Amino acid sequence: MKGEDTDSGVLRMGENDSTPVAFTRPLTKNDTPARLVTIFGSLGRNGKKLVHYVFDVADPAYLETILTVGGSIRSISPEVPAAAWYERELHDQYGIEIAGHPDLRPLIFHENWPDGVYPMVDSVEGVPWSSREYHFMQVQGKGIAEVSVGPVHAGIIEPGHFRFSVIGDTVLHLELRHFYTHKGTEKLFEGTLLNAGTMVAESVSGDNCFAHAVAYSQAVENACRADVPPRASAIRLIGLEFERLVCHISDVGGMCTDVGFTVGAASAVSIKESLLQTSSKCCGTRYWRGVAVPGGLRFSLDAAKVLEFSQAVSLAARQFSDLASVILKTPSIQNRFETSGILRRDAARELATVGPIARASGINLDVRRDHPYGHYDRVRFEVPVTHYGDVMARARIRVEEAATSARLIQETADALPSGSVLVPLELLGELHGSSAVESPRGELYYWLEGQEGRVTRCHIKSPSFQNWPAMPFAVEDNIIADFPLINKSFNLSYSGCDR
Amino acid sequence: MIFDVIERSLRQPNRVIPVESLLGNCDGGRMPEVIAARLTPPIAQKLVEVCPTAAFRIEKHDRQLSLSLSYGECIGCGRCFEPSEGAVVAAKSIPCCGHAKAQLVRDWDLGSRAEITSLDPAPEIVCGQIHSLMGKALNIRQLDAGSCNGCEAEIMALTNPYYDLERFGIHFVASPKHADMLLVTGPVTRNMADAVRATYEAVPARKLVVAVGACGCSGGIFAGSYAIVGAVDALIPVDGYIPGCPPTPAMLVTGILGVLRRCTAN
Repeated sequence: MKGEDTDSGVLRMGENDSTPVAFTRPLTKNDTPARLVTIFGSLGRNGKKLVHYVFDVADPAYLETILTVGGSIRSISPEVPAAAWYERELHDQYGIEIAGHPDLRPLIFHENWPDGVYPMVDSVEGVPWSSREYHFMQVQGKGIAEVSVGPVHAGIIEPGHFRFSVIGDTVLHLELRHFYTHKGTEKLFEGTLLNAGTMVAESVSGDNCFAHAVAYSQAVENACRADVPPRASAIRLIGLEFERLVCHISDVGGMCTDVGFTVGAASAVSIKESLLQTSSKCCGTRYWRGVAVPGGLRFSLDAAKVLEFSQAVSLAARQFSDLASVILKTPSIQNRFETSGILRRDAARELATVGPIARASGINLDVRRDHPYGHYDRVRFEVPVTHYGDVMARARIRVEEAATSARLIQETADALPSGSVLVPLELLGELHGSSAVESPRGELYYWLEGQEGRVTRCHIKSPSFQNWPAMPFAVEDNIIADFPLINKSFNLSYSGCDR
Repeated sequence: MIFDVIERSLRQPNRVIPVESLLGNCDGGRMPEVIAARLTPPIAQKLVEVCPTAAFRIEKHDRQLSLSLSYGECIGCGRCFEPSEGAVVAAKSIPCCGHAKAQLVRDWDLGSRAEITSLDPAPEIVCGQIHSLMGKALNIRQLDAGSCNGCEAEIMALTNPYYDLERFGIHFVASPKHADMLLVTGPVTRNMADAVRATYEAVPARKLVVAVGACGCSGGIFAGSYAIVGAVDALIPVDGYIPGCPPTPAMLVTGILGVLRRCTAN
């Protein structure tokens, strides 16, 4: 579905003004407010700036409306808090003024970036170093102390900054400052050959590289209206579920590490490592890099390898489910996991969270079921949802999903279609396409525009970008010592968010 | 309840991979190996065309053409395999982990099809020698200068029961002030430049810096982006390079021990 006229979109123009004044939130077919998927900018053919609003209206297709920017645009963040970061990013990338936004501080750029340079419209050759100021929010009152953490953390973790305002041990407020790993990826896509873009996509978030590669490839395939051969779709499903299985096992192990339960942690990472070694043996890659390309896959797997792979997955899944039952029954784990870091359902909904985080807070959402792609319309699975919203809920959701992933890999491997795994694509001319994938962290959405075989614009909505703003709400009122555990239970990607 | 856990822990098999099987091994790293006998000028030309990060280059010296392959720039995309007609295959072992940047480059003469500069062989270190190489222990501080987290995932794997880096006396520490070595991943982003400098300053002398992964060695796929300062050595002095995208745990072990060997030899 696509509305191109400004008046049919979510924002409506006032009279005698180039700034839209009225906002209408799209509704789903059940008359509930639609969920915001993403907001991003692009340049039209005449060089005019366009703003794209994508909503999930409880229909397999997403609703995309496009607004041609005259002067400034009206912020929708007051009505849709989930829009706040997208609008700040739009301002940083395109220099579009956003009237009525509650907080337009630079998001993706730090003090070193000069005012008034917008990388998606301006030249980015030799941008000078600047020293702008950045003001953190100040929480005032008697006995309140600030604790600043990062960007470099005490561990093998990505960089980001956390500013806690605490009273005693209790966190009153947490402000995030991210984008330390901002690599200009969306700009980097411009000019890349359409069939080589997977290499950039794979480097957006390394541990979810296959989901990114598939989402990008599907966007190209949707743009060319091409169908991927059934064997390629099925192997993609195996890869996507494998990635989810590995991530969830790793996350549960990480949560054990953060409460000092080393037996659980060491066992979980051993299971994860055994899976990665099997993958290396059967597919030649530990993390399924360089496998997916637009049109299908770069290589196929023979029957013997598929069998070996699926047997290893089923063994690992049994070991993990056995381990998880021990972990979740251990009193010291229950003591730390239960009631820690509660993300309330209304906050999760207002901030349009996705993935296991949303499902642990009572939001029934899964791209695989709601917007089926590839081989997913041929498999049946339950989407686990729980309403507790605490660390334990997020652990349980992951344990259940890991079991589902292993079962889907089994079933798909047992009935793997035969045939080729790659179709040639007609990439010339003007192309527009989008695609969504349920990555291990949740909804991943790629929007793509191409011309004569090259990418002209690629927007990535990463689940981490969407979920990070919700994390502080789970941390408030907890003791600061529980922050690493709560953060791990979200397990968001910094690089995926910062891009 | 706790007895279940203890019993479970005792039942675990020993999973440690012997060091001999790790050194030089790059299985699953998707690094290319050139079969010189099959190399022809048209194939070399194709390799240069398909490589997204210009890891393959054709150079001309005295009317002699040579093909060079820089492992520090290779992101292991594997696109050079298909058009190479068998001249490029997935490597089982690359002999250059942890060496100086220039030694990550291999050259082949396109006329005689011979390798021009041959590299040191893979570091043949046996367990006993490792301890003597490092004295008693080595403390490593990992620093993410902007990576995609692929390298972090593999560095994390070094602490699992298969690789068990602690058996060599190598330990990951929380503060740069406790570290002997900085293991730096990712292209250095503009937004991390100050933090990278400050972390480097905080490590007491004499310090070792190792750039990890295609991004750390050369900027990788992100080279040239407006948000990138460059490879790690664009900002701080680097003592060793570990190629790969991401390097496998075996490549990381080889690389870290390789840097130590070079540095203790000096």
